Amino acid sequence: MIKSEGLSKIFVKKISEEEKKKEKKKRTSREFYAVNHVDLQANSGEILGILGPNGAGKTTLLRMMGNLMQPTEGNVIITDQDGTAVLDMVERKKRVGYLSGNTKLYHRFSVREMLFMLGEIYGLTKEETSNRAEEIIRILSMEEFADNRIEVLSTGQTQRANIARCLIHEPEIYIFDEPTLGLDIISSDAILQFMKQEKERGKTILYSTHYMEEAQYLCDRIVMLYEGSVIADDTPKHLMEQTGTDNLRDTFHVLVASKTKEEEAAHE
Amino acid sequence: MNKEIVKALYKKEITDILRDKKTILMMIVVPLVLYPLIFLGSFLLASSMATASTHNTYRIGFDNIENSAELSAFFNRVGAEYEYDFAYITPDLENSDWETALAEETVHAYLSATEEDGVVHYEIVYISSVADSATAASMLEDMLKEYREELRKNNLAANDLDENIFLYPITYEYEDRASNEETVGSLFGAILPFLLISSVLMGAMYPAIDITAGEKERGTLETLLTLPVKNMELITAKFLATSTIATAAAFLNVLSMGAMGAFFYGSITAGSETAVEFNVWSYLPAVGIMLLCAIVFAMFSSAVCLCVCIFAKSFKEAQNYTTPIMLVFMFAGMAGMIPGVALNEVTAFIPVVNISILITNLFQFKFETGMISLVLFTNIAYSILAVWFMTKIFDCEDILFGDGSMNIRLIEKRSDMKEKQLPGIGDVLLLFSVLLLVLLMLGSVLILKWGLWGLVAEQAIILFCTLFYAWYIKADFKRLFQAHRVNVLHLLFAVIVWAGTYLLMMVLSAILATFFPESAEAADSISAMLENAPIWLIVFAMAFMPALCEEFAFRGFLFGTLKEKYRIPVAILWTGIIFGLFHMNLIKFFAVGLLGAVLAYTAYRSKSIWTCVMIHFVNNLSACLLTVYGSWFENHLPVLFSEQIGVAALLGLLLAGILLILFGFFLMKKVGGEKTAEREAKTGI
Repeated sequence: MIKSEGLSKIFVKKISEEEKKKEKKKRTSREFYAVNHVDLQANSGEILGILGPNGAGKTTLLRMMGNLMQPTEGNVIITDQDGTAVLDMVERKKRVGYLSGNTKLYHRFSVREMLFMLGEIYGLTKEETSNRAEEIIRILSMEEFADNRIEVLSTGQTQRANIARCLIHEPEIYIFDEPTLGLDIISSDAILQFMKQEKERGKTILYSTHYMEEAQYLCDRIVMLYEGSVIADDTPKHLMEQTGTDNLRDTFHVLVASKTKEEEAAHE
Repeated sequence: MNKEIVKALYKKEITDILRDKKTILMMIVVPLVLYPLIFLGSFLLASSMATASTHNTYRIGFDNIENSAELSAFFNRVGAEYEYDFAYITPDLENSDWETALAEETVHAYLSATEEDGVVHYEIVYISSVADSATAASMLEDMLKEYREELRKNNLAANDLDENIFLYPITYEYEDRASNEETVGSLFGAILPFLLISSVLMGAMYPAIDITAGEKERGTLETLLTLPVKNMELITAKFLATSTIATAAAFLNVLSMGAMGAFFYGSITAGSETAVEFNVWSYLPAVGIMLLCAIVFAMFSSAVCLCVCIFAKSFKEAQNYTTPIMLVFMFAGMAGMIPGVALNEVTAFIPVVNISILITNLFQFKFETGMISLVLFTNIAYSILAVWFMTKIFDCEDILFGDGSMNIRLIEKRSDMKEKQLPGIGDVLLLFSVLLLVLLMLGSVLILKWGLWGLVAEQAIILFCTLFYAWYIKADFKRLFQAHRVNVLHLLFAVIVWAGTYLLMMVLSAILATFFPESAEAADSISAMLENAPIWLIVFAMAFMPALCEEFAFRGFLFGTLKEKYRIPVAILWTGIIFGLFHMNLIKFFAVGLLGAVLAYTAYRSKSIWTCVMIHFVNNLSACLLTVYGSWFENHLPVLFSEQIGVAALLGLLLAGILLILFGFFLMKKVGGEKTAEREAKTGI
């Protein structure tokens, strides 16, 4: 189980010359919440989708959940199956398989070499690593290119290799940041299929995407993020019922509209 | 720290580096193929030139020389001893234009003669830029000397005088007591440090760039952060991997050079009987310690390169950052060759320089165990410090994920630059590295040559570099240098701030003087320069120019950039430290650093660089006056010169200084605040 409590990240943003004139301030930068007090929880056997437009804070949120970034405020709580919280940073990282557009692979290694290297770093024995690597290569059907250097692989093959990277240490929790971005139908279907399988095996999956249809089909629950804040957290079905829409795309627009209205009201 | 993880990461880094073609090229191809080729090429060229020059016939002309027949007969007799052939051209009335003949190389050199009071004066006319002409001229000189010698002897003999008494009343010869090993060793000692330092640096640079900036560029850094490893383990592995490659590169380089050396030694001694006999094994201890030095220096260079490259976003940017390092390392690597530079408690702590001098000493058979261990220890300590620093950087998300505020703007084309931008930290690093080099190399030469005017020139160069850099990157001059119109009252308050700072500097100097008593004498060379100079020049060179130029560089460019990137206290602290370091004097560091920090705060508070110029000017002026009219002050104000100040007095001065500074700043804040607000209201910004 992975959970966040009041999770926030403050960034410093440079103010452009135009804005400066508008605000009549001498400051060149201002602080803003990239992620604003987010509470969410993903349980085992569940796929939690994080939806939101560009700049909503999805990547920052997931980076904090994956222990890549320190939150400015709030906590991330990771618990084992028996409910004990994992506190040590290194142990927490061992529980998580993290994948994003920015986690590129070492080009000069082959897929198999990479898996062996990772096994060593995750503290597996040689035998464990070997078994696990062969299994992963089979599951993701990478036999053909497992010994090719990653620099020569196609986009789809590289993404599969990237997923293999997250699997080597059998994490309890997967954090996938837009895993299907830029992939063709076959590759992205394979990845969605994989997430479904892992869910059925009782894993926790936290996943962000732009593609509303994909989320609607895949996710058990959806958290909608807008300008760093959560504007909705429910099952896709409930969300659509509440807003009286028949797809998540419209749901999102309705929610954003009502959020802006609220803010305007608060201003006045 | 988990050893297994470091080992696994180390293995990964080494594999990654070794699979990079660029590294392999730098590491293996350059030392093993390129060096021998260059050596061989230059050897062949040199030997073919030598053969060519001995087999040349030099045509020498006589212009209007009465005794040309006698002279050429003598030359022919003497010239037989030389390996060269000569042809003599006697005056030809049809073709007596010697200038043309010389230019067309129909003659290589010619003699012309004038006679005055019975002394014949010969002129050897040649063209120094033409190799044959130069050789011919120097041969002519040698032969003329012998001719003179013979005439002297003849004259003495004609007068029945003993040539030994008149020509050789004393004789002398050299007797070199250095063993052949020592002679060759000192040659090694001059070449090897530079060679080792540059090859280690070359070996460290590419892997360092590859596994820091390269990792960022290829996007594997975030992947690395998902792994269950501590920063310390990550950095240690990177550091060890780079050090390994650098050491290997150094060994390969030295081996390759050694093999080349042995080959040429063999080929030279094979043909000649005067071969120097020496025992190669006597260098074994020196070589052993040198290899140890190579390892610790590889660690140091790797740490420095990693530290710098970690800030870069891309391979290209990292290369720009390492260029100044390379210049500084190469320059410092030559320290061993400078006569009079010895390894002592001070130089042993200067990185690069210490290794350079140590290796020079080793090959001169000077083994000082204490110094050797100090140098090795210092390098390891610096490396550990750098590794620790890097782990701190790896905690810094701005550097890992950010778009980087470290850009060097100078590299972009000027036409592509935005108007009114501000320099980045990279610009600051570049400018100040250049300034440091200018000061080190040009500054001392200028001052030696022109004294106070050299000082003026040095300061002018600082100002020029700073302003040129700012102009080139189209910096926002108003914001960067804060060269606004100054509030006249601020200049007054500035003097109060200065008075307080001066007291604090006195306290600092007094405290430091108890630790480093000898340092007080160091100022003598400057006071010697001042002795005969007019007072206006002293004030101009030592007070006005530094105040103007250093303020624009340090409180303008440096602080102006830092204050936009960091919090104000951090910016002030760094301005002080860099200002202190620039004066290159450990004793003065604290006092000057303090002045630098106070000046930076003044710039921030008064929002005008002119206030800083004022303080700096008053400070330097007082120092000038103290030096020039020292005796007057010593009589009237003995407090300034008392060697020992009591603790109570020190505390009193400290308190008074702090109060004065606070009071000055308080006034500035009170008055300046209103004025600035008014100005803003007026212009409507």
